[in-house]
Amino acid sequence: MIVARKGIGSKIAHTLRWVVFIVAGVVLNLPIIMTLMTSFKTMADINTSPPPLIFSPTLDNYREVLAGGNTDLPSYILNSIVIAGGGALLAIALTFPAAYAIVRHEVGKSWLLPLITNLRAVPLIIFAIPIYLMFQLAGLLDTRTGMILIECVINIPVALVLFVGFIQDIPEEMDAAAKVDGATSLRTLWHVIVPLSRPILLAVLILSFVYGWNEFLFGLILTTKQAVPVTVGATFFVTTYGVKWGATAAAMTLGVVPPLILGLFTYPYIGKAMLTGALKG
Amino acid sequence: MAAQRLGVRAKERADARYFLVALCLFLALMLGFPALANLWYSFSNFSFRDLTGGSFVGLANYRQAIANPGLWSALGFSLRFGLICAAIELILGLALVFVLHPLLAKRPWMTGILMLPMMVSPALMGVMYRLILNEFTGVIPAYLEMFGRPINFLGKNNVYFTVIGIEILQWTPFAFLILLTARQTIPMELEEAAAVDGAIGVQLNTLVILPNMVPTIIIVAFIRFIDSFRVFDHIYVLTGGGPGNTTTSLSIYIYKLFFNQNVLGEAVAVSIMLLMASLAILFAGLKLAVRTRTR
Repeated sequence: MIVARKGIGSKIAHTLRWVVFIVAGVVLNLPIIMTLMTSFKTMADINTSPPPLIFSPTLDNYREVLAGGNTDLPSYILNSIVIAGGGALLAIALTFPAAYAIVRHEVGKSWLLPLITNLRAVPLIIFAIPIYLMFQLAGLLDTRTGMILIECVINIPVALVLFVGFIQDIPEEMDAAAKVDGATSLRTLWHVIVPLSRPILLAVLILSFVYGWNEFLFGLILTTKQAVPVTVGATFFVTTYGVKWGATAAAMTLGVVPPLILGLFTYPYIGKAMLTGALKG
Repeated sequence: MAAQRLGVRAKERADARYFLVALCLFLALMLGFPALANLWYSFSNFSFRDLTGGSFVGLANYRQAIANPGLWSALGFSLRFGLICAAIELILGLALVFVLHPLLAKRPWMTGILMLPMMVSPALMGVMYRLILNEFTGVIPAYLEMFGRPINFLGKNNVYFTVIGIEILQWTPFAFLILLTARQTIPMELEEAAAVDGAIGVQLNTLVILPNMVPTIIIVAFIRFIDSFRVFDHIYVLTGGGPGNTTTSLSIYIYKLFFNQNVLGEAVAVSIMLLMASLAILFAGLKLAVRTRTR
């Protein structure tokens, strides 16, 4: 009797949990779902009130923003790919050897590591003004190179924390064996640590790419025409396109979907990055 | 032999310094130099026309910055915004973890769906909300109208709550994900032992699980407060800080001083004060973290 009652109780609890999941999933993702739907609607469907949930999808909006000829969206997207990719690769090149030195040789562990991990918490606007002035003097305003440098700065804290955490877990015997064979630190790093670190290198690459892609403040301040990333470029649609909701929604979708898909592969690392960073920082 | 080994280690350490050189140089150039330039600019009367010129004006910029009531209203907004958002995100995140944990353990795809919003650029999230909340063509007001109570989310009276709501909806997934990571590392034995003692449901969560998650809760609250405090993107695209200055955060305030109102010296003085304040808070946070760890 008791067993049976418990069975019903836990079944109800189980169902309630599913209800909570579905409600949370829909509410949290509502703008994404709605924008995605709008981007496949015809003008007539968009102007129908209340908005229909079932409609025959069209690709016209995508055709208009990608091949319409009167938007720069393709170049914004290309800019974002170059900037986010370059920023991610540069951050990895700078932080991976540093993480190795910090873990294995304890160089800079007491000052550099906490300094860099805490950088994450400093409001970026503080550096926006002097960097703007510096870029103006150096001729880096509105260039992809300048934006790559900025995205690299933004990615350094998380990349360093994740690398330090990962290399700490590689047994020291692995590089000791290489040392016996007379390998230098650089060779050990390249031939032993890098191959073992492939998963974390990939994770940091993707995560940094996502952060670089999503960045807005510096894109807004430092670019005007040539190097505009998609986060900034897509906001132009709202004002210039005014009533063309379908085209705007298509532009949004193209700006939002790449990091969403990449994020699905890397989100477990975010939890790790935050916890190790904060606990060891 | 041992001395020789020690010598090798010392040499390796010296070699290892080279691995840090590139990173340190890069940071010095990209952050150290700008910070110092900022400091100099905050004491001078420079202009866009004459970046390398300008003469020393002492504390005039700081005096002007402090005397501007806009600074205090922006600071007030950022503090309130940060505290409200962090608190609500934490509560919602914890609730989701407690309710959904039994489902999520075997179904990682569910976590994937719930964390999606944090992968979206906050600026584009703002634009998307602008689309769906639009008074005339937005989807949400249209559905609400079916129930006979349309709300103008972006109107003067509601927009303050709308920007807070959007921040919470986008970043509750972050709180949820970090808290879930911590929840999943709590050993099963602990739960089983508590269950033997008769703890179930709410009791188990509040008396056994929750105390074990306190360090993570503090970390999440801290990270969320700091991130919300410096909010810029979605507010900028939704309201630009308005109407008036009701949604002007500190970041937007500095941006507007510099790029819209061209009071360069004052903007730089505010950002130096903000840098000092955040360093002080970080230092305090670091001390707190060390204390909780050694306890």
